[in-house]
Amino acid sequence: MIGRTLSFWGASRRVFDLSLGEMLWSRRTIFMALVVGGPVVLALVVRILETFGMPALRVNGQRIGGMGVFGIVIWMLFLRFVIPILGVFYGTALMADEVEDKTITYLFTRPVPRGAVLIGKYLAYLACTSLVVLPSVMLVYFLLIRLNEVPGTFMQLLTDMGLLFLGLAVYGAFFAFIGAFFKRPLVIGLVFVMGWEQTAMALPGYMKRFTVAYYLQALVPHSMPSDGVVSILQGMFRDTPPVAVSLTWLAVYLVVFLFLAARTVDRKEYILEQ
Amino acid sequence: MPIHDQGYRRYLGSRGAIGKSWQVITRAGIRTVLSKRSFIALMLLAWSPFVVRAVQVYVASNFQQASFLAPKAETFREFLGQQGLFVFFVTIYIGAGLIANDRRANALQVYLSKPLTRAEYVAGKLAILFFFLVSVTWLPAIMLLLVQIMFAGSLGFLRQNIFLIPAITLFSLLQVLVASMTMLALSSMSKSSRFVGVMYAGLIFFTAAMFQALRGITGRSSFAWLSPTDTLEQLGNYVFRLDPVYDLHPAVAVLTVVTLVAGSAWILERRVRGIEVVQ
Repeated sequence: MIGRTLSFWGASRRVFDLSLGEMLWSRRTIFMALVVGGPVVLALVVRILETFGMPALRVNGQRIGGMGVFGIVIWMLFLRFVIPILGVFYGTALMADEVEDKTITYLFTRPVPRGAVLIGKYLAYLACTSLVVLPSVMLVYFLLIRLNEVPGTFMQLLTDMGLLFLGLAVYGAFFAFIGAFFKRPLVIGLVFVMGWEQTAMALPGYMKRFTVAYYLQALVPHSMPSDGVVSILQGMFRDTPPVAVSLTWLAVYLVVFLFLAARTVDRKEYILEQ
Repeated sequence: MPIHDQGYRRYLGSRGAIGKSWQVITRAGIRTVLSKRSFIALMLLAWSPFVVRAVQVYVASNFQQASFLAPKAETFREFLGQQGLFVFFVTIYIGAGLIANDRRANALQVYLSKPLTRAEYVAGKLAILFFFLVSVTWLPAIMLLLVQIMFAGSLGFLRQNIFLIPAITLFSLLQVLVASMTMLALSSMSKSSRFVGVMYAGLIFFTAAMFQALRGITGRSSFAWLSPTDTLEQLGNYVFRLDPVYDLHPAVAVLTVVTLVAGSAWILERRVRGIEVVQ
């Protein structure tokens, strides 16, 4: 029987359904749970110390409020580590996994557009990571913030969750392209996140505009903590673009890299190593 | 056409001495890595700080106005600290697939069916990583010391800072040992080299991020033991007789490193086995 050819979005949805189950119930999810579990454990410890009135939350005799601690966790753990590392891990694996497992042949012999395979997998990545990361952010928030502070700070939580989702989307699109295009995507991805982005953000001038972190960090509602030489340099040369500009550039990055990734998958001949 | 006898024949080749088989793995591994052009590019990049420092030493030695650039003991500590980034990338590039690829191809059983012990197999793999990591840490640092002597035309600096030779050796050894043992242990835990790479990056950056977050929250740096990178930084300062950067006792820093290395050895002992029992 010859089946009817699926439309691009129909095919993406099919791949999405297939990939979401694979992604959620895999060893990777354990890795992701460990990564996002760290901030939750930290928040829990802080909460316990706070409950017993221990002086863990005092710097130079000054007490740090729950929102201050939450801001530090968002900056140091989620924005600088969790989001980029999950983007690298999942984004580069979207196509590289299929090539490595030599299963890409089976996907490409299906009557679906090649680009739809990538888009479907990308959407599955976004759903999978958001379903794990965003609840953990909420958990950290409710562990750190007292109930009477919630009405005044809830909008900041929503902003944080929105920008983290955007970060996952943009980093994911960028690394999906890297994964589709390069043979060794992981090293290149790590060089970008831990090398290029950190260096460019600490340099004066326009260099930082060629990073995702520059636009993403402009959306953070908390003040940037300075925890070392690199942070101090980044703080010194930090200029914050307007929200509209940041959102526009992040959207441009998202669309351009997702298009490039789909186009690469569509045209590239993947040679499987024997 | 004659059909040759394919039956049992006595081995007529020479026998290697017991305990030397690991060298075969190391030699083959080094040759494989050196055949990759992208790795050569990474090594050239890793040596670029050496070139910059060498120029700095040259300028300081030859121009009176630039004497403020003259190297001190701290210069060598800083240099090794900077090389940490390349240690990270070289470790991921070479180390991620060292055991993972063998596990993926079911080659571990083939290796261990030869006259090769598990310890030799691990030593052979470890030596590959060791070789390349030493060549981006100890080797350029010692070369820099030699360059200083050459450009200065005297042994004065070395005589005043004779402790630099053991300090460079010890700190490089610590950097290399921690990175290679950790990576090898992680590599034995998975069949995907990419997953291993991300696990290693996660371990390094996550622990550092956790330490920084705790530092930001509590205002104390005594949690540096959480992060291997920061623990090594602290130990590095002790080794080079500099002021410690964190409020972390050297014994705790040493204990952290020992725990990490011993834990990695334990994982390797558990994971590198010829027979895998599948449940």
